[in-house]
Amino acid sequence: MSPAPVLVVGGGPAGLAAAAHLAAVGHAVDLVELRPALGGAYHRRPIPGVTPRPIGAESETRWARLVAGIDHPAIRVRLRTGFLGIDGAGCALLDDRTAGRVEAARPAAVVVATGALERVRPRPGWELPGVTTAGGLQVMMKETGRIPEGRILLAGSGPLLVALAGQMIAAGRPPIAVVETGDPLRRPLAGFGLLPHPARLVEALGHLGRIVAAGVPWLRATALETIAAEGDALRVELRDRRERRRTLFADHVALHDGIRPNDRGFPEPSVSAADRPFVAHAGDCREVLGVAAAEIDGARVGAEVAAILAGTSTTASKALARLAAERRVQAVLTRLFAPAIPPTPIAALPRETVLCRCEGRSVGDLAELLDGSDAPGGREIKLSGRFAMGVCQGRFCAHWVAEAAATLRPEATAPTAGDLIGRRWPARPVSIDAVIASADRSDTSPSPER
Amino acid sequence: MSDVAFPSDLRVAVVGAGIVGVSTAWFLARAGVDVRIVEAHAPVAAATGAADGAVSVASKRPGPMMQAALAGIRLYRELAESGVLDGLYLTRSTFLVAADRAEATVLEGHAAALASVGVTVDPISAARLPIVAPALSDRARAAIEVRGEGHAIGYDIVRRLVHTGGLRIDRDRRVTGLRRAPSTGRLLGLDTDRGPVDADVVVIAAGGGSAALLGLGDVLRPRRGQLLVTERAPALARGLPGAIMSARYLLSKASATGGPPVSPRGYGLVIDPLRTGQFLVGGTRENDAERPVADLEAIAHVLADAVALVPGLADVRLLRSFAGLRTAVVDGLPLVGPVGSGDVRVATGFEGDGICLGPLMGRATADAILGRPSEIDLAPFDPARFTGRMAAA
Amino acid sequence: MSAKTFPWNGVPIAFRDGETIAAALANAGVRTLGRDPAGRVARYFCGIGACQNCLVRVDGRVVEACLTPAVEGVPVESAGEPTEAAP
Repeated sequence: MSPAPVLVVGGGPAGLAAAAHLAAVGHAVDLVELRPALGGAYHRRPIPGVTPRPIGAESETRWARLVAGIDHPAIRVRLRTGFLGIDGAGCALLDDRTAGRVEAARPAAVVVATGALERVRPRPGWELPGVTTAGGLQVMMKETGRIPEGRILLAGSGPLLVALAGQMIAAGRPPIAVVETGDPLRRPLAGFGLLPHPARLVEALGHLGRIVAAGVPWLRATALETIAAEGDALRVELRDRRERRRTLFADHVALHDGIRPNDRGFPEPSVSAADRPFVAHAGDCREVLGVAAAEIDGARVGAEVAAILAGTSTTASKALARLAAERRVQAVLTRLFAPAIPPTPIAALPRETVLCRCEGRSVGDLAELLDGSDAPGGREIKLSGRFAMGVCQGRFCAHWVAEAAATLRPEATAPTAGDLIGRRWPARPVSIDAVIASADRSDTSPSPER
Repeated sequence: MSDVAFPSDLRVAVVGAGIVGVSTAWFLARAGVDVRIVEAHAPVAAATGAADGAVSVASKRPGPMMQAALAGIRLYRELAESGVLDGLYLTRSTFLVAADRAEATVLEGHAAALASVGVTVDPISAARLPIVAPALSDRARAAIEVRGEGHAIGYDIVRRLVHTGGLRIDRDRRVTGLRRAPSTGRLLGLDTDRGPVDADVVVIAAGGGSAALLGLGDVLRPRRGQLLVTERAPALARGLPGAIMSARYLLSKASATGGPPVSPRGYGLVIDPLRTGQFLVGGTRENDAERPVADLEAIAHVLADAVALVPGLADVRLLRSFAGLRTAVVDGLPLVGPVGSGDVRVATGFEGDGICLGPLMGRATADAILGRPSEIDLAPFDPARFTGRMAAA
Repeated sequence: MSAKTFPWNGVPIAFRDGETIAAALANAGVRTLGRDPAGRVARYFCGIGACQNCLVRVDGRVVEACLTPAVEGVPVESAGEPTEAAP
């Protein structure tokens, strides 16, 4: 019997580890990555000729190991290829951007390893040009070795802001300040939780040390309240826990309020082992535990999928124990960066604050929609309110819309972000030209004999 | 409302929060009736939420459905003018486009049929087409412009009616049967999975869910329609002055007048430029489809047809595909009217015409309950035509 | 040093092999990418193709600037119309 073909979605650590494991046990694997290069967010590779920024010996070893793992004749790496979902005929749809064609594949299983998405809280002005996610700024730095010209302000919450500031300082371009709603220094006891994880502690202290040495203000227990365009600059209003306000001017503002799984819009994990294609999620897109966990989880899910396709079972107690340890690290970080100044509830933001970045739908629009005899549910908020209806398909607003709806109509069943986003293909917009081209050659599923 | 021809304490339960059920409830509430809507899932969860926006007579053949469509358009216009549907109903033309000589011939006959019932139809020559609709390809050989048509988005209409009617919807409440007094057989209301609902009159407007309540399993059929919506392309949209319907669609609609059943997967083509600058493009009509999920083969087929007629669509992105299971009646005509003694009424089976006919049939159903004369002849849609096939009620 | 360029709305923008359109434009100090098809200001935001805020037009097709490699001489334009007002 030929081994069943498997589709792995995402060229980050989880996807690579899953692909390597599946190929090693005899499956033909198509590994698709939307970008022109493998790496994912953490291991984003620099373009040719750019010296990689040092990311630590542990990370370098990991990447080398992951790349070696997919050097296998049964793995076909397909760059610039996106996964659009599974259609009504059970086909996995691939958007091959090089060929300009959508393909319908029939893998026995799909491993979704699409990583994480940043949480960015809506604030007045967060839609302005010059405002990016911190991750967006970071991946551009990693890829190009360059930092955009001008004053850069980092704001929000979480260890990524500290790490990014450290990297910018190392590159000779410190941010003008790091605004942090938490107050990690006030929670030293929580920090002891990192003691069993010396590598993380050293990394964190290294970044902190650079911030202190470079004299970059680390404004803790401080919230970035609004951003406004003023001339060519961005005028930023801050508020701290003692209600003191201050104004800063920047050319770029990088926002970050944590990360969440990038699973929305993709098929849900299979519940039944008999499902074909069998769908599994791996890495941060299943549970956000960071890069080390992603590699472990990718291998674990690869083994699980192989076992399901073989009709056997697998025990992953060792991997699960390592994931549990990573979960403890994440819990420590969450405690360290717990908000010391409570964020403004979405429903309490100024009415004109944009929620849906794609269509410009605001807090006021949502309040108006929710006013009346009958509280609309998730799908109606989407359809009639046009929230999560735009081209990003709700990835950056659905959670906030759901939160605000729950506040505005507490008596009604609260909609979920999943209700708003839905799981219809295409999971991302796709060229109509490419869809039509699919009819030319429909069956290009990975062939087992390869 | 002064002309109270019904008991002032009349209680009506409407099953189904699609456009038909909500319209019925809206007209009843307007007349002061105590009405509640019971919905198994959520409003517009089925066909209404997966429909095109055609409030249109353009594809109809002479007969009761053509008459109903004309009345449906008139009602939309009234509701828009009175402010109820202000901003939600858009008057515009439908362009029926022929891509070859055979289609052009069909089109000529069809134009005459439409004109015979008073629809304003203008033929457009191949030479004038590029001026009228610059986004059309030169494959379009001829077209007719059907004037006075309209466009309405089903879920927006439902939301507005719920809001302006002050209607409340019991969500996630599944009706398990009709409740009758054991001794007299008098209707007491509904049994639901969350307890009984008292009512003197029940209206069943539950699409495919109606069959089980009425025992009409062999009369109603789910028919899948696949559609898609593109991202915004306002410049292209400006090149299309109205909805574009392929003349071939007339063939796909054959069963609407009781013609032969459609093939397992029938394709039609309507390209609808929306106010947002997006395009709503449909679609399929499929028998024996169980799940409302779109597939690549169908969407690619529809898009290939669409691009052949509007080449600029090739450079636009597909944003969303979707499918609806629409309830059709075996003889191609909807089911509207009393079931048995009249304390239970049904209004369903509109297939692809629910948006156009929903408010109209909602009003007709409300009028019948209120003892008012109906403005349209419901006789062709009377469920009694299936007497003998009905088990319950 | 590479001298490769692509025209951005007619203006040559230098880029290095493997660089995305978004990175090259950012390096050239281009912060607003014109209008997107919805008429809103296009701009770089998430960097991973999820937010759809950096849409531009290449070869007639709408693509994410942050995912699409720059190619020498291949024109890149704003995805929407320059005159289109934001809704």
